[in-house]
Amino acid sequence: MQNVEILLIDEKPKKRFCIKRLAGKGKPYGFIGPLSLLLFTFYVIPIFLSIYFSFTDYNIIKKPGFIGLSNYRDLLLDETFKASIKNTFIFTLGVVPAQTIFSLFMASWLVSRGKSRLTEFVKGAMFIPVISSMVLVSIVWRILLNGEGSPLNMILNILNITQPNWLGDSSIVLFVLMGITVWKNTGYFMILYIAGLMEIPKNYTEAARVDGAGRWRVFYHITLPLLKPTTIMVVFLGMVWSLQTFDLIYTLTGGGPGNASMTLVLHIYNNAFKNFNAGYAMTIANILLFFSAMAAIVQKSFLKKEKSEVY
Amino acid sequence: MKKILALVLSVILLTAVTSTEAMAFWGKKEKKEKLVVWLPPIGENDKVVWEPILKEYEEANNVDVELEIIPWENYSEKYAAGIASGQGPDVGYMYAEMFPQFIEMGAVEDLTPYLTKEDYEKYIYIQHGKMMGGMYGLGIEAANPAVIYYNKDILASIGEDVPVTWEDFIRCATKATKDTDKDGKADQWGFSQGWGAPYFGDLNWNWYGFLWQAGGDIFNDDLKSVRFNDKAGVKAAEFLRDLKFKYDVLPPYYMAQTNKEMLQTTFGPGKSLFSIFLSSAAGEILDKSFPDLNYGIILSLEDEDKGTFASVDQLVLMSGAKDKKLAFGLIEHMLSTESMTKFHKHHPRAPIAVGEPYQGDPRLQKMIETQEGVYRPLVVGPHGVEIYEYLWKQLQMMMAGEKSAKESLDEAAAYSNRLLAK
Repeated sequence: MQNVEILLIDEKPKKRFCIKRLAGKGKPYGFIGPLSLLLFTFYVIPIFLSIYFSFTDYNIIKKPGFIGLSNYRDLLLDETFKASIKNTFIFTLGVVPAQTIFSLFMASWLVSRGKSRLTEFVKGAMFIPVISSMVLVSIVWRILLNGEGSPLNMILNILNITQPNWLGDSSIVLFVLMGITVWKNTGYFMILYIAGLMEIPKNYTEAARVDGAGRWRVFYHITLPLLKPTTIMVVFLGMVWSLQTFDLIYTLTGGGPGNASMTLVLHIYNNAFKNFNAGYAMTIANILLFFSAMAAIVQKSFLKKEKSEVY
Repeated sequence: MKKILALVLSVILLTAVTSTEAMAFWGKKEKKEKLVVWLPPIGENDKVVWEPILKEYEEANNVDVELEIIPWENYSEKYAAGIASGQGPDVGYMYAEMFPQFIEMGAVEDLTPYLTKEDYEKYIYIQHGKMMGGMYGLGIEAANPAVIYYNKDILASIGEDVPVTWEDFIRCATKATKDTDKDGKADQWGFSQGWGAPYFGDLNWNWYGFLWQAGGDIFNDDLKSVRFNDKAGVKAAEFLRDLKFKYDVLPPYYMAQTNKEMLQTTFGPGKSLFSIFLSSAAGEILDKSFPDLNYGIILSLEDEDKGTFASVDQLVLMSGAKDKKLAFGLIEHMLSTESMTKFHKHHPRAPIAVGEPYQGDPRLQKMIETQEGVYRPLVVGPHGVEIYEYLWKQLQMMMAGEKSAKESLDEAAAYSNRLLAK
């Protein structure tokens, strides 16, 4: 005899597990679920863990012991930390405007010139540093800059120009590193700006031209406001990258000479992996997180304000 | 019931088939125990040199030995990460600065219970394994002191003899610093000493020797405070600072290059009278890259005392080793007279074990055999890495002209003493 389920009038059918039904109801959650889980596991949890560990003497291997605010108190006495904060801000304040202006200038020039062999070559040349490994870039720059016999110094010598001590002079080393960073990043931001410029409807600029606006006026009153979302992204990304700059400085100077090029991330790395003071490193990381969060908040408020100004 | 019976029988059959005896019966090898060894590169192609030595131990003990050569850059970081993740080695190589942290973490095994009376007679540098209340290593790399190289032709050209004291050194360096091509700029330097190393490794030749020569030291005897900022320390630091700011005998790029780079770019091409680096650089850098260079070697200058740095790097038994006896056996095999004789044939160094012939640089043999005590390793003290790193940065600031000798040493000492007081 077959097993037949008889459904009475006042009974509801048993709900069976059905992926189709689940997907129907919570479709959006189904899509964002896996990624949210990954984000939560690898981004949110570590943030809370780092806050917890900053109150401990965790050294990677031993079980962490609670030490209260001791790590935060040590920060106040740490001369290297003070130097790293100062350098990180100088670095960010120097690099972000420079790479933003330079990439905007290059993108505008390339778009205005249209497609030609020259523009294609410039685009390619500008993008090569972006795709090059930072370690490789650092090695090449060290060869270019270091010592009397380095290629750059030899050229200066031929031109009878005094050779600066590029990586050994405390007063200029940070600016040299800033220059290399701008050179490395500009190509990437230039591509973002090119995309932004291509999106601007041509009839806007054409209408302005018909009304008698010159190139500068068109750029200032039409192009620049329409590029605001791109600019905000370029500035924000640039800020985050600059605040977190590590590999170039680690490979080229190690934060030296002295603490002349020490940055927050380098100080975090040294404490965590060289001194094995992971608790202290996470204390510094929390300070960096605070600054990055501030940058994000500022960017968000800008985005809110400036939305749909022209469109 | 039948199903359950079949399942039980299947499990019994599977167990019988995969048991050790059954594996042997079916001709499959029993899974061997594995020992992991981490070493830095002592010379070139170390793996090729070590492999036959390790194979002997593999065959004699029915064990697999896996050797990993880890570059010097990030060497200690690799250990920390490996130990933290439970993927560290069974046998490792450590230098003095690494020890305090790993001993404090309990990552390195005290070898006292493993060592026999014969071991104490067999290993030449065994006394250097004693540190922080235990015996934590057996020397594998030693007697490679930091030396001052001098250019014989330049020395002859300025009519001077090989310097003995600090005063001699300054006089010779000052005389040698000159504009040889008459273009208005100096192009020959007294002392090609580099202060641009990103990390504290260059303290080994730039600082410790001069500190000891002045009669100073790093730690006080109880290892609870430092003493490098005392009168002797300040004297040594001022001597180094004066080389730039009083006598101006260093090349202009002295803050950008390491000592190794200085040897390659300045001393090797004959552009400086003195340079300072490891003695092994004579054969490995100068003879290979600058065969025509006419140079000599000074082990130590003399002030209140003589002294120069020579590390004693050790093989250690890691606490995470599963079979510690087997791993210690491997250490003994690697350091045996026979193994070291084979190893040093490829990478010439002074003997490690009694009975090993001298296979190092023949020019250094007399110096190494008679001057032990003048060359010496660091005392292993707590917070070594942090203290040396901080001190290096402070000395860099001093050499860059940002601080006086006293200011930089006092700042480093205050930081060090805060750490040691914890």
